[in-house]
Amino acid sequence: MPTNLASGAEYDTVGHRRWVWPAFAIPGVLWLSLLFLVPFYAIFAVAMGRIDPILLRPVPEWNPFYWDPSVFARVLGDLFGGQVGVVAMRTIGYVFVASALCLLIGYPVAYFVSRKAGKWRWVWLLLILAPFWINYLMRMMSWVNLLSPDGQVNQVLATLGVTALPEWLSGQHFVVILGLVYGYIPFFILPLFAALDRIDDATLEAARDLGASNLETFWRVTWPLSRNGVLGGLVIIMLPMFGDYYTPNLLSGSPRTRMIGNTIDQFINQTTSQGSVGAALTIILMIFVAGLMVYYLYNINRSTQEARR
Amino acid sequence: MAHHPRENWNPARRRRVYTRRDFLQRAAVLGIAVPVIPSILAACGDRGGAGAAELAIGTPSNPVQQPLFEGNEAIESGLEAEDGPLQIYNWADYLSPDIIPVAEETLGVDIEIATFFNEEEALARLSSGEVAYDVWFPTSQRVPVAVAAELIQPLNHDYLPNLETNVWPQLADPYYDQGSRYSVPYVTYTTGIAWRTDMADSADIEGQENPWDVFWNPKYGGQLGLYDSFTDTIALALLRNGVVDPSQATEDELAAAGDALVELVDLVDVRYTIDGAYVGIPEGRFALHHAWSGDLVNSQYYWPEDGDYTVTRYLWPASGDGSTAHGPISSDTMAVPVNATRPVLAHQFMNFMLDESNALENFGWVGYQPPQINLTPDYLVDEEWVAEFLRSALVTPEDFERDSAWVQGPLDAETEALWSEQWTRATSGG
Repeated sequence: MPTNLASGAEYDTVGHRRWVWPAFAIPGVLWLSLLFLVPFYAIFAVAMGRIDPILLRPVPEWNPFYWDPSVFARVLGDLFGGQVGVVAMRTIGYVFVASALCLLIGYPVAYFVSRKAGKWRWVWLLLILAPFWINYLMRMMSWVNLLSPDGQVNQVLATLGVTALPEWLSGQHFVVILGLVYGYIPFFILPLFAALDRIDDATLEAARDLGASNLETFWRVTWPLSRNGVLGGLVIIMLPMFGDYYTPNLLSGSPRTRMIGNTIDQFINQTTSQGSVGAALTIILMIFVAGLMVYYLYNINRSTQEARR
Repeated sequence: MAHHPRENWNPARRRRVYTRRDFLQRAAVLGIAVPVIPSILAACGDRGGAGAAELAIGTPSNPVQQPLFEGNEAIESGLEAEDGPLQIYNWADYLSPDIIPVAEETLGVDIEIATFFNEEEALARLSSGEVAYDVWFPTSQRVPVAVAAELIQPLNHDYLPNLETNVWPQLADPYYDQGSRYSVPYVTYTTGIAWRTDMADSADIEGQENPWDVFWNPKYGGQLGLYDSFTDTIALALLRNGVVDPSQATEDELAAAGDALVELVDLVDVRYTIDGAYVGIPEGRFALHHAWSGDLVNSQYYWPEDGDYTVTRYLWPASGDGSTAHGPISSDTMAVPVNATRPVLAHQFMNFMLDESNALENFGWVGYQPPQINLTPDYLVDEEWVAEFLRSALVTPEDFERDSAWVQGPLDAETEALWSEQWTRATSGG
């Protein structure tokens, strides 16, 4: 061991120079500032900037001294009592129902693959993930083909003698929710699989030895131990679902199934003179989903501390 | 791709065309437009918006000349053409892939095409100043905007002999840009109603006093669509409510138009699409759809093999028998961006496109009609470029002068805010 280890502030306890370990954070810090902080600031600058009177486009205001926050009052007014609020509530409804379905469908799948599939588990995992190597849009377009009035689903129904063929793509809430579930469920299964996989068989055997039934073992041991995986999976799928706009576009196209992402897209890409409204709405949506994230981190933190005790 | 729709033009041998064009159009529906962050960054600076020029907005009864600005002059006459490649900035699939090699051969340079999904995106990129295209295809209503923002340069007509000899006089010296100072016409179109006679009753549209009203007919619930384009669709609702000049609509009229569109959600389960007229109608997804005339001419290439394309119809309500309704008419143009690096070549290319046979060849693929003197509706129908039953989708110079024509113009910021408010209502599905 180097002799100067104890003496200097230059070296840490394992003999590395003090800057060595923090230096590993540099790429992360650069990444975050370039790809997160700068764009985030740009959104604020657009939201509180002005509109070019000729091109009808938002002109960002980079100097916070000139920021005009009045747009937030307008957006909050639209959200509470306006049409945008209707879309926001619908979005929250879709995301919660879709997440609940992901939990109901994904949990047994993750449980089976991680704990019951034995040596075939990697094959199962691969089979679950394989379709998701295909681009999200392509998969949604396949649904459009499957569900179109003369699509394969209705062809099968027709062969089975169903006469009143459903119009799947005619602005049905459940079809959009189905699209969301299908699109995001692997991102729920994966973290959950990892969490379930980590559970030591010994803990389950201990529960059984102490007289717990199958159900009790699940409820009092497996479920609490997998809770963080469930929460993690839910956060991972809910955040992008809140911003989704192509699923309702493709699977419905009806105003009845608009999500908040569609509204933001419209403000920014179509009625460009309302770009600052779209930016403000983006910020409010971010604050809302950040709330979910904080809840998740709080839970993780608490359970880590409990585990340490 | 390289799938030329005209290959399938023989009505007996029509094949289903599901090509890159289709994919691009769907992609456009999804709004996969790339936000241009550097352009946002570049746009900082002059605060307060002082010095914003007034837009010079013309109508056929009140044409305007676009102003000239110091430092933004047309190129000199008699210059040598620059080296290629010529950079073109256009809508996706708005130039025939067959005409490009011909142009390359004629001009002796390579041609590269970049595309935009909507005009807002194009204006954003051009105003950022970081792209330098040689030819751009703005709609006529954006010409005054592009001039005021100094995005395009004045033209030197010495390089454009075909403009005067070939183009309708009404558009060679157009109301929006008198003397064609900054733009030359590319194509012209009306906006109306497309339907299938096997799915919709023609009597509900033809001969009606207000054909627009058919979109509010509950008989067609679940079978009709409007364009996912707020200017076109708010205008449709205003015209249906009897407003003669949508550009001048009052706040009350706009609110009523918004109400009418909100009503459509439950009344007929309306769908908003971009491809509904030329893909949705042939597929049978729609019995009727809001339609640009050129989309409908083009729709013939999208029919399935066993489909009967002769059921397609189009009506521009401004010219319908017994109709008192007004209808939109407009045109698209070609222009040279102010920072083009090959302006001489750009002029030569525009002159090439104004050539009659090139314009006709291009029309055969694009479906949008060039305003050429000799390419009259009679000629186009007789030569079987357009079927007789779609003659109504063709435009004549006189159509611009009809009292019932609404010539589309740009909106100012306040008006666009009001239109946007109604559009948000209409598309929220509350």
